[in-house]
Amino acid sequence: MDKKLKLEIYRKMLLSRRLEERIAELIKAGQAGGFMHPGVGQEALQVAAIAALRPDDYLLYAHRGVAYWVARGIPIEKILCDLAGKEGGTNHGKGGVMRVVYPQLGVLGESGTLGGCFPIAAGAGLSIRVKGEDKVVLCFFGDGTSNRGTFHEALNLCAVRKLPVVFLCENNGWAVSTPTEKSTAVKDIAMRAAGYNVPGKTVDGNDPEAVYDAVKEAVDRARQGNGPSLLEGKTYRLWGHWVGDPEDYRSREEVEKHWRSDPLPRFEEKLAGEKILTEKIKAEFEAEAMATIDRAVEFSRSQPHPKPESALDDVFA
Amino acid sequence: MRKITYAEAIREALIEEMRRDPSVILYGEDVANFGGIFRVSAGLKDMFGDERVFDSPISENALVGGGVGAALTGLRPVVELQFADFLFTAGDEVVLKAGMWRYGHGGAYAIPLVVRCPSGATGVGPEHGQCPEAFFMHAPGLKIVSPSNPADAKGLLKSAIRDNNPVLYFEHKLLYATRGEVPEGEDVLVPLGKAAIAREGDDLTLVAISAMVPKALKAAKRLAAEGHSVEVIDPRSLVPFDRETIIESVKKTGKIVVAEESYKTLGVGAEIGAMLMEQALEYLDRPLRRVAIPDVPIPTAAVLEAFVLPNEEKIYQACRELLA
Repeated sequence: MDKKLKLEIYRKMLLSRRLEERIAELIKAGQAGGFMHPGVGQEALQVAAIAALRPDDYLLYAHRGVAYWVARGIPIEKILCDLAGKEGGTNHGKGGVMRVVYPQLGVLGESGTLGGCFPIAAGAGLSIRVKGEDKVVLCFFGDGTSNRGTFHEALNLCAVRKLPVVFLCENNGWAVSTPTEKSTAVKDIAMRAAGYNVPGKTVDGNDPEAVYDAVKEAVDRARQGNGPSLLEGKTYRLWGHWVGDPEDYRSREEVEKHWRSDPLPRFEEKLAGEKILTEKIKAEFEAEAMATIDRAVEFSRSQPHPKPESALDDVFA
Repeated sequence: MRKITYAEAIREALIEEMRRDPSVILYGEDVANFGGIFRVSAGLKDMFGDERVFDSPISENALVGGGVGAALTGLRPVVELQFADFLFTAGDEVVLKAGMWRYGHGGAYAIPLVVRCPSGATGVGPEHGQCPEAFFMHAPGLKIVSPSNPADAKGLLKSAIRDNNPVLYFEHKLLYATRGEVPEGEDVLVPLGKAAIAREGDDLTLVAISAMVPKALKAAKRLAAEGHSVEVIDPRSLVPFDRETIIESVKKTGKIVVAEESYKTLGVGAEIGAMLMEQALEYLDRPLRRVAIPDVPIPTAAVLEAFVLPNEEKIYQACRELLA
């Protein structure tokens, strides 16, 4: 990974973190107009993986956080408008912030039911194959979602048809209040790759370089027509399942332990040690993030709500 | 005009649309090597190759959800479910994905997907013999067609494939072998949302769906011999639904019977009844009658199945009651 890419990944991780902090403030103040599942602590995985894609590849993100969209380059103000259910976003109040969509960058949207992403990803892979393109589909999901039947069906179908789909599990240890070991028969989700005869690999999901390298390898493999892969990044959900989650199902000690491997300061220290990230650049990134977020908040406040009768639009094409 | 079977008409529609548009693909369980469990797609794999016509694993969620994903990214997939009942297996992908993905994402994508659903009771019991259209009429975002004859089977399938929305295409298994006149021509389409008047009449409106249409026509013929003029309407599309043709007929006849091969409660007949209450109550001289399956699963043994299924005699009797 070159210096420029490292800085870009760091910049987007930082912007994502600051944006989620702002969204949490807005939600707590009753000013967000919507609801979301924070992804604080999982930004390294999300940003670094998406950095391995081409702009014409397809992306199915998961439900945790804003970093997928920030990484893909969707304007922040659109994300905030979707959060508030306003015009000016990507879905005109129809789907909220959990259905951000951006066709021009291959962002196909999100399934409201967990695991709905897997068949959709397989279908996008099918399109690529039939049209003879060399695009790739990257499909994010959580450890809990790997227990859906759709996971099995789509992995098997993709493997049999050698479809160019990279399945990337964000294993953060928790499915809402249920720890992975209580719900999932394997320790590493990537072990399930054996059942589909596809490559499976587990990496440190809080290490952007490890994530990028693994995803790049799988993406290249898929692009060359060699079929799907199942990757897993071990990470941790540092915040609750939602803003306001009492989190009484897990110990404070456990959470504090994981804050010590928060990917943001960790990557910051690494890049500082490599003399890539200077105090000056860091300050610039912080200032730029804050200014971008301020502008986006203002923009979303200025946007109108959708016309009530537009609720009847968009059922059919 | 030449006569071909309903199954041949479906196959011809698939071939013509696949020739016309390279983005049309066909997949499902046993559709390629075997040509479909009912042999409707026999030979298509050899014509179009394994990339465009292929056998899938037994994975209904991935089949329909894959169809949605392929449709989002520029294909026009035709997915065959082996039996219409398997729509329930793929319920999330049918109702929540095919029906709602476009809406939930603010109209960013169209979903030109066809799901072929072989329907109808043939002695195969509760989970392989249903006509479950009404379940999906309740779900927003899905178009639904149920052709009753070869010409409509072809023309409606071609329209469904060219439509930019998800269409559930119900092909009744007992109609596959029926023959009828089918016009030739690649662009002979039957529009979605337009009912057909299968027989004109003045005394009673008889709405029949799918395989109930030939039975309704026989009942109407018997009634004609007794001096009653029955108008038989085949809605063909259930979503969008041609309300006007039914209302216009009821204005003339004042009486209506609905025959469908589905459960009575909240079936198509219930929706037609509610529509008439709202829009045409003043024209009804007699109460609506529904000929449908009493609310039980479809049993397997022939004597039991015959007892619950609507048939010509039950349709005839319902009409007689109103005409008396």
